[in-house]
Amino acid sequence: MAARARQVVKAYGAGETRVVALDHVDVDIARGQFTAIMGPSGSGKSTLMHCLAGLDTVSSGQIFLDETEITGLKDKKLTQLRRDRIGFIFQAFNLLPTLNALENITLPMDIAGRRPDAAWLRQVVETVGLAERLKHRPTELSGGQQQRVAVARALAARPEIIFGDEPTGNLDSRAGAEVLSFLRRSVDELGQTIVMVTHDPVAASYADRVLYLADGRIVDEMLSPTADQVLDRMKDFDSRGRTS
Amino acid sequence: MTVWKTSRRNFFAHKGRMALSAVAVLLSVAFVCGTLVFTDTMNTTFDKLFAATAADVTVVPKAPEKDNRLPGNGKPETVPASAVEQAAKATGVKTAEGVVSSTSVTVVDRHDKNMGSTSGGPTIAGNWTGNALRSMEITSGHAPRGPTEVMVDADTAEKHHLKLGDELRTITANGDIEARISGIATFKVTNPGAAVIYFDVATAQTKLLGRPDVFSAISVTAEAGVADEQVKKNVATALGDTSAYELRTQKESTENSKDSMGSFLDVMKYAMLGFAGIALLVGIFLIVNTFSMLVAQRTREIGLMRAIGSSRKQVNRSVLIEALFLGVVGSLLGVGAGVGLAVGLMKLMGAMGMELSTEDLTVAWTTPVIGLVLGIVVTVVAAYFPARRAGKVSPMAALRDAGTPADGRAGRVRAAIGLVLTLAGGAALLAATRADKSSEGAPLLGAGVLLTLIGFIVIGPLLAGFVVRVLSTVMLRMFGPVGRLAERNALRNPRRTGATGAALMVGLALVACLSVVGSSMVASATEELDKSVGADFIVQPAGGGGGLIVDQAAKALKTVPDIEHFTEYKVVGARVTAPDGSTGSEGLVAANPSYKDDVRRETVSGELAAAYGKDAMSVGETYATKHRVKVGDRITVAFKGGETAKLKVAAITSDDVNIDKGAMYVNLTTAAQYVPADALPQNMIMFAKAADGKEKEAYAALKSALAKYPQYEVKNQADFKEQLQDQIGQLLNIVYGLLALAIIVAVLGVVNTLALSVVERTREIGLMRAIGLSRRQLRRMIRLESVVIAVFGALLGLGLGMGWGTAAQKLLALEGLGVLEIPWPTILTVFVASAFVGLFAALVPAFRAGRMNVLNAIATD
Repeated sequence: MAARARQVVKAYGAGETRVVALDHVDVDIARGQFTAIMGPSGSGKSTLMHCLAGLDTVSSGQIFLDETEITGLKDKKLTQLRRDRIGFIFQAFNLLPTLNALENITLPMDIAGRRPDAAWLRQVVETVGLAERLKHRPTELSGGQQQRVAVARALAARPEIIFGDEPTGNLDSRAGAEVLSFLRRSVDELGQTIVMVTHDPVAASYADRVLYLADGRIVDEMLSPTADQVLDRMKDFDSRGRTS
Repeated sequence: MTVWKTSRRNFFAHKGRMALSAVAVLLSVAFVCGTLVFTDTMNTTFDKLFAATAADVTVVPKAPEKDNRLPGNGKPETVPASAVEQAAKATGVKTAEGVVSSTSVTVVDRHDKNMGSTSGGPTIAGNWTGNALRSMEITSGHAPRGPTEVMVDADTAEKHHLKLGDELRTITANGDIEARISGIATFKVTNPGAAVIYFDVATAQTKLLGRPDVFSAISVTAEAGVADEQVKKNVATALGDTSAYELRTQKESTENSKDSMGSFLDVMKYAMLGFAGIALLVGIFLIVNTFSMLVAQRTREIGLMRAIGSSRKQVNRSVLIEALFLGVVGSLLGVGAGVGLAVGLMKLMGAMGMELSTEDLTVAWTTPVIGLVLGIVVTVVAAYFPARRAGKVSPMAALRDAGTPADGRAGRVRAAIGLVLTLAGGAALLAATRADKSSEGAPLLGAGVLLTLIGFIVIGPLLAGFVVRVLSTVMLRMFGPVGRLAERNALRNPRRTGATGAALMVGLALVACLSVVGSSMVASATEELDKSVGADFIVQPAGGGGGLIVDQAAKALKTVPDIEHFTEYKVVGARVTAPDGSTGSEGLVAANPSYKDDVRRETVSGELAAAYGKDAMSVGETYATKHRVKVGDRITVAFKGGETAKLKVAAITSDDVNIDKGAMYVNLTTAAQYVPADALPQNMIMFAKAADGKEKEAYAALKSALAKYPQYEVKNQADFKEQLQDQIGQLLNIVYGLLALAIIVAVLGVVNTLALSVVERTREIGLMRAIGLSRRQLRRMIRLESVVIAVFGALLGLGLGMGWGTAAQKLLALEGLGVLEIPWPTILTVFVASAFVGLFAALVPAFRAGRMNVLNAIATD
């Protein structure tokens, strides 16, 4: 397993105003798999990802990255962990505007003071098709290109796991498809582990496995999904949600 | 009215971001108002004092022809005692009293410690009269009744722990007065710092004025119901011939005293206002930056306003109204702080011995008005350009994703203007260094300083790009990727970095310039001392102040053994008529012939030694050229209080010096031949040369000979140089202290820029933290950025200042400032200190950035 969550609870506030975002969640993320987390707004899917990635703290329960328990780690250790073992792709604002594409890609390694593996870097850059644009600043790149740079950055440091938070949420369908197929390829060809939060059935259909979250609980999962299957399942949730 | 509403809401929504700008306005306004309140209070204090001490009508001897080059001879002008009786008989006069008053005295206690004012105020000795009762009352003991009794003012008594019966020795030009304190008198108004002592009439006349039948002035009290003007006329009639007198009503006396005090207060006032102005100038940078950044951060919001129908004008106005709020708040607080500052200054003066009472605290109605208008106008003017830029935001901005504001690039026009200004300024400075006359060079220097300053400010963003890159290769690269990020951040908006650095530049340029001029002054003077002064010892009034050396002290000095020679140096007033017939007042230097070895002078013709011959003299080069005087010519010298002599010019001295520039020398014996002993002034300075190998003994002996006269100091050459250095150093320290205000405002500017850019980069910082930048690295990044901005400002400022200082020295070389000395330790210290200032400025912004919540930062909307 690349990552595990055990009986994770995340609650905000106390007493009357207590809101439970994650309610005793157990998740296993398999190594070399592409996992999508889906669910309606407010289902807790982003919170779950943030907790798994060590960006947020849990109220109770345990989270492991490989064999390392990350719940209870101090900020310094968590930062190191994110830097060395985790990759991130956010929905927007992934890149530092003062650095060019290449500098953005190598930033996590620069921060860590490590030299990037030149051959690997070349391979990653070629895979995402950015060889021509490495010297460009983010403002000189299209939205799709910017997200591809973000994917390259996530891949370049060879993290154990990559978390994506709606990585295609701001892209049109063609650019989104491009980015998603890169993610797919990195799982298939490079053996990368990826966890992606999305509400787009098409995006989810690129995954090996879809987890459905509702009211802070895992309510269902689907293996080797297609977009239609995912859409049907979502509609199902919606109608159930309406009747209940 | 919606514009008002949005402006007000914006202002309060961003009050944190406005805080530092408000502080900048506050500080500048406080300094201006503080200065005004303080000087007004001083004026009030002196007005009250002068009004309280002036008689209804005062008769004083007619002032001799005013000539500042002539020192007094230590013996004041007088009116005869008979005039007092004449004045008393005039109609409408209730009483007329003779008043004795002298400031050429020194009071010491039993241990020969000076009891005079510690704040540079005068020591005034006189007779106790009815007029003195206007401003003082005897609070213990009684008025002096004989030559062995003296009365002192209560402030002096308190300061020096004097009580009734204590012995005081008063050193006067006519000998010492040994007396015991018989009474203590207290001022009814605030006495800012004069030490006042009273004797009985006879003692005061003989010792202070040298004769028993004269007075310094006549104080006339009018009968009730008679106007001062009328009494003045009547007294004039009673005196008959009034050509020797000047009559003043109480109003005129007060005005007269105020005039002489006022010019000093004015100098102080305008100097302090000047420094306040510099701080205000620096504050402008801060305000411009704040509003530029607020406008940039609000681009989307403004775009939305425009999209839903706000006109450019409305957007523009809403920003200006925000500035108005800022100006009003900052100025109001500033006016309040200014009054506090004035009270603080008064306390400070009190600690230094100058008493000012808060009862006299004067806040003229103009003070808050000036403060408010100044603060508001400056703020609104500074916000004008950012406001215009806000007006230009297109409605499309609302639709664009303005994650970060676009890079502000320094325009070409701007670069060209800046370059032209800088070059013009540089040319003016160069021209100033080549000027033949200092009066011609001074305006050039001023223009050069101003133009280069403005040029540097305009060109700042361009220089920022260049300097930051250089600095980065020198110091940032060693910090690895964090250093590179800091470099990029500093370069991201060169206009902002330029303005922030320029604010620091202004203050530091002045510091550098003045320190160059100051140390050049010390170096030049030291060089001249080494070159021309041959005397081992110099005796002068202590503290470098004016005054003359009383004869009894001179006599005491002359008994010292191990001395090869003593030189007495007097300045004798005279009307001098050149062969071409032109006549003028001159102060002739009457000295022993040994003086030519004590202070060596070059001659352009003749021998200086011959000028000390009988009926001979020397003149300066400038005078000789002007009046076509040659060696061998005869000059008519009408000595003041003495006879007229025809003296032969035996030498013409070069005027390329600072000591005794333009002096006319005569032998002391020549002067004594024409001037009676009691009219001959006391020594101004004395020089001494030790017998061979006896320097140490002579020095110690001179010191102990002066022990009874603490008002004088003996200095050897090393002491003299040190004193010179101390004096210039003290002056510079005061100026640095005042410039500190401008530098503090500039540092606030650095803090402000960093704080705002941290806010602006919230998401960026969140992203970096998410992908693994540690808190420490983040804080270091912000600190490095701050250091780079500060060091950039320091480099520009120090460079500019050294340029100014060098140009000033080259120009002043015409006035004897021949040696250029760059004070590298000072410059280096300032440079290193500026890096620390950068670190300091980043403390809070870095801390806040470190505490930023990663999740909030990366959350999309």
